[in-house]
Amino acid sequence: MLFFRSEDLVKAWCQARGVPLRPLVTIAQLWELAVAWYASRLAPDARRPGPHEMRRIFARVGLHDPFWDPQTDAFC
Amino acid sequence: MDFDTKLRLAVYRHFANTTRAPLLAQVAAQLACSLEDVRLAYGRLRANRVLLLEPDGETIRMAPPFSGVPTQHEVEVGRQTYFANCAWDALGIPAALHQDAVVHSSCGQSGAPLSLHVGTAGPEPSQWLFHCQVPAARWWVDLVFT
Repeated sequence: MLFFRSEDLVKAWCQARGVPLRPLVTIAQLWELAVAWYASRLAPDARRPGPHEMRRIFARVGLHDPFWDPQTDAFC
Repeated sequence: MDFDTKLRLAVYRHFANTTRAPLLAQVAAQLACSLEDVRLAYGRLRANRVLLLEPDGETIRMAPPFSGVPTQHEVEVGRQTYFANCAWDALGIPAALHQDAVVHSSCGQSGAPLSLHVGTAGPEPSQWLFHCQVPAARWWVDLVFT
């Protein structure tokens, strides 16, 4: 999970490793994910999002690709 | 509050206060319990994907978003500098602490430095991108690689 300065640099990184380009995430989207995952992490009732909640969070942020499905076997 | 919750809070508060992972003995002393009690709880928290441990079963590698080892993703909060496990967790640290921060990292391909100011309402506008190679369904298969 890395930062990149541009889409071209992500593509170059993937090409150099022979791996597919995955869905790109903006910094604004990443912040929404960070808040959803971690804003209550230091609280007594904190818990990781379960699979259904993860799907809802990704959809809310605009990430609909099956890549983000925590239970798919499409990438195994 | 059950024991595992107390232990989780002790670990996370130690990270938040010191930027580093607590030692097993420090957690045991804080909770007034045995080292074995802590080891067993660590195992349960690992099974629940709360902590990632080193092979010794007692050294915390990750308490996401905090990293127990230095990484390329540094997060400056006040006078403290935290290490994040990945780009996602670099934003996760200010989100967890609810404090302003500056994320220092670099481009995965070019190595260009990133310095991103993050307020409590979110990061400054940025054209940088985040890319994850591992599908969500496989993140915990090898979280260090992810």
